[in-house]
Amino acid sequence: MSNKEHFKVAIIGGGPAGIGVAVGLAKQGVNSVVLIERRTQLGGTPQGYRKKSGSVPTFIEWTRARIVFGEELAQRIIQRLTNTNTKIKLCTHVTKVFPLEKKLSLLSPKGLQEITADAIVLAAGAREQTPSEKGWLAGTRTVRTGFTRHINSWLDNHNLLPVRKPLIIGSDLIAYSAAAKLRAAGSKEPVMINQRKRPVASLFERLFFRRWTRPDWRGGTSTINLSGDFTMINANTEDKTNSEDSGGDAIIYSGNLVPNTELALMAEMAVESQSRKLKLFKGQSMSSPGWFAAGNVLGGFHGAQWCYFNGKRLAKTLKQYLTKKVTA
Amino acid sequence: MERFGTWQPKIRGKLFYNWPKGSCEESLRFKSSEQLGTEPYDVVIVGAGVIGCGLAYKLSLYQLRVLLVDRLHDVGEGTSKANSALVHSGYDAEPGTLESELLYKAEIEWPDLASRLKIPIDPIGGIMMAVTREQENQLSAAEKNAHANRATNVHILTAKEIREREPNASKNILGGLSVPSESIGDPFITSIAYAEVALANGVDILLGTNISNVEIDSKPRAPIHHIVSSDNHRIATRRIVNAAGLGGRHFADKYGGSRFDINPRRGQFALLDKSARSLIQHILLPVPTAHTKGVLVSPTIFGNVIVGPTAEDLPLDDPTSTHTTIEGIRKVMEGGSKLVNGLNNQPIIATYSGARCACKQGSYLIRYNDGGKGIVTLTGIRSTGLTASVSLADHLINNLNKEVGLELSLDKEAIDSRPKSAWPGWWQRPFECETPNAREDHGCMSCYCESISIGEIADSINSPLRPRTMDAIKRRTRALMGRCQGFDCQVQIAEIISDRTGIEINKITKNGPGSELVANSQAEAFA
Repeated sequence: MSNKEHFKVAIIGGGPAGIGVAVGLAKQGVNSVVLIERRTQLGGTPQGYRKKSGSVPTFIEWTRARIVFGEELAQRIIQRLTNTNTKIKLCTHVTKVFPLEKKLSLLSPKGLQEITADAIVLAAGAREQTPSEKGWLAGTRTVRTGFTRHINSWLDNHNLLPVRKPLIIGSDLIAYSAAAKLRAAGSKEPVMINQRKRPVASLFERLFFRRWTRPDWRGGTSTINLSGDFTMINANTEDKTNSEDSGGDAIIYSGNLVPNTELALMAEMAVESQSRKLKLFKGQSMSSPGWFAAGNVLGGFHGAQWCYFNGKRLAKTLKQYLTKKVTA
Repeated sequence: MERFGTWQPKIRGKLFYNWPKGSCEESLRFKSSEQLGTEPYDVVIVGAGVIGCGLAYKLSLYQLRVLLVDRLHDVGEGTSKANSALVHSGYDAEPGTLESELLYKAEIEWPDLASRLKIPIDPIGGIMMAVTREQENQLSAAEKNAHANRATNVHILTAKEIREREPNASKNILGGLSVPSESIGDPFITSIAYAEVALANGVDILLGTNISNVEIDSKPRAPIHHIVSSDNHRIATRRIVNAAGLGGRHFADKYGGSRFDINPRRGQFALLDKSARSLIQHILLPVPTAHTKGVLVSPTIFGNVIVGPTAEDLPLDDPTSTHTTIEGIRKVMEGGSKLVNGLNNQPIIATYSGARCACKQGSYLIRYNDGGKGIVTLTGIRSTGLTASVSLADHLINNLNKEVGLELSLDKEAIDSRPKSAWPGWWQRPFECETPNAREDHGCMSCYCESISIGEIADSINSPLRPRTMDAIKRRTRALMGRCQGFDCQVQIAEIISDRTGIEINKITKNGPGSELVANSQAEAFA
């Protein structure tokens, strides 16, 4: 492995969006593309939702009008990548970014490396909002605190039920899918707490998960005060008129995605400081020339297939950008 | 070539965790007091916070049999982990008090101590900022007070001078005080470093052990007391030092120590993301009131910014003493915004709170032969404890010699610096150090926010104090402490601990037995 490499396009993130960009670029006839993924396998978030009998499929595959397990969807997307010449760097972490030179410092088990590219795509996805970011929760730092991602790891990779009586903060599709998975695996009916009066998840989504779960809904909550010792948690929820206690043995922060824009922040590109959303320009380009973004890093909450197609569409813009650059 | 993370230092002390079967390896498990030897200890230190660990470290330089006991499951788990992490210069202490004297001595010793014990500190200096006329009038008194504390480099700054040093200082700043000797440090590593050297020098460490009783020997000469753990292990000792902090009152009741009253004073903090670091260059302090030093805004050694603390007096045993409140966090952010522009736009990544051990009878209260011959009570150590831990230990050792007849002869074999160990510290990155002889797993990240590799986590598991809980790993490596607060790495770190130690994954705990990460059962549907 040489210590310095140059590519036409470098894609940061090997989830649906990043793969979408790579597949799209191959279709556009752009060679010399590198896909950088920090985990040991491609597929991003959906890859973590394993296919298991007795579990709950949670990903909508719009093109086939089916609801499938994340793993199945990820595998189909990855399959399309294998037909391309994209260079894949797994287990590779971007440690530094140089926006003007379009240079990335990478760290992998083989050591440090630097790559440059004509265009760089940030497809780093999003993560779930932490309790402090929410700003309406306080109290003890309880032991069993986790995100939906943790629920998937414990259930799907370790066959362990991480919680018997869950308290779920959030009410979008991710929250409902977590509730359904836990119920299917044998937990008690979760308590679902949110600031909004009505759940974020649509009626269709809620009806789908009704087979497994009918969460105890505590909408319109203005503050939560957590108390309790190690594994028993008491959430005192308050709205304008009354205060109510709900007991449980783990608290799960679900949904409310925050885009992973840290690399852009590190490079001092334009990011709104509170929401951490990228400031985007025409064609999903970022504030530094030659930098683009795709997928959930754009902000908001999008399904895996949306991200894949978003990445694929971006490939056209990239192709235009690269040709313009050559002629200029 | 020697690989990064393979070093094992020579360790003369014994380390045990009083944990149930399966929670740690059998070789680390405390089963009977015979494991500690039959000879009575010269000194048993109860409380492995920064004060207890500092004392253990200094005592380890002498030929003594010393035991460090704590009810929690790592060193520095209580108040020592939740504070402002400042290494104070003592400019604002009350002149002539023990605290002032100790801080003066500590300030001289810290730079050398930090390099010997490999404790990261950064002497960035502080600026006290006045935002009202009334506060501005207090500055000259504060300067005088600092000079009385021998902090001669403290001087008054004009508003213009402050703005030159702090471009983001609030418009309301009227003037201030430069305090060049204030530093930021790593509060976690301080306790750990002390304990690692102590352990290497032969101090025994027993963690996760609650003391339920003290049997006092009333013999006037050379009495041998016994401390009894809640699971009935009896440990013989000639002297006991109560450094139990907030638990000090309860422990004092067990040996009949004379009266003192602790009122925990809660301090809540907001931790801002690293993007806030560029807002400030120094530790920004408000003008203190009689009750509290006020809400400060300080960079941390890790590159974040902390804002806090509040000062809320709580009764002893209040279970909410380390709770955060929405009101409290709002207050600290308001307080911080008075000093710095743009602070409110920065995302808060975590909130925490700690309880200072405020004692009604005075701060730095030390009583010798309290309740029995050879028993020392130590309490009322508040926010300056981290700084003073080193000079307080020297002070105590001198007085232990005078007051309770502790014989001191230097141990020639003892080392006075932290031994090189499997885990060199979070600030030394395997692939960036001078001799890059890193393993493959040093290049495979586990914590993305702080860029901590699987290899570094595995190395920290092998460090001398054998950390086995998630929190212990977190305080050492900084994994789980970044902006995603464990979203990416929590389960993986549990997997690494389980993989490297053989502890079953459902027995991995956040901070000791009883705090298992998962409800201990198989998922029914997949069983």
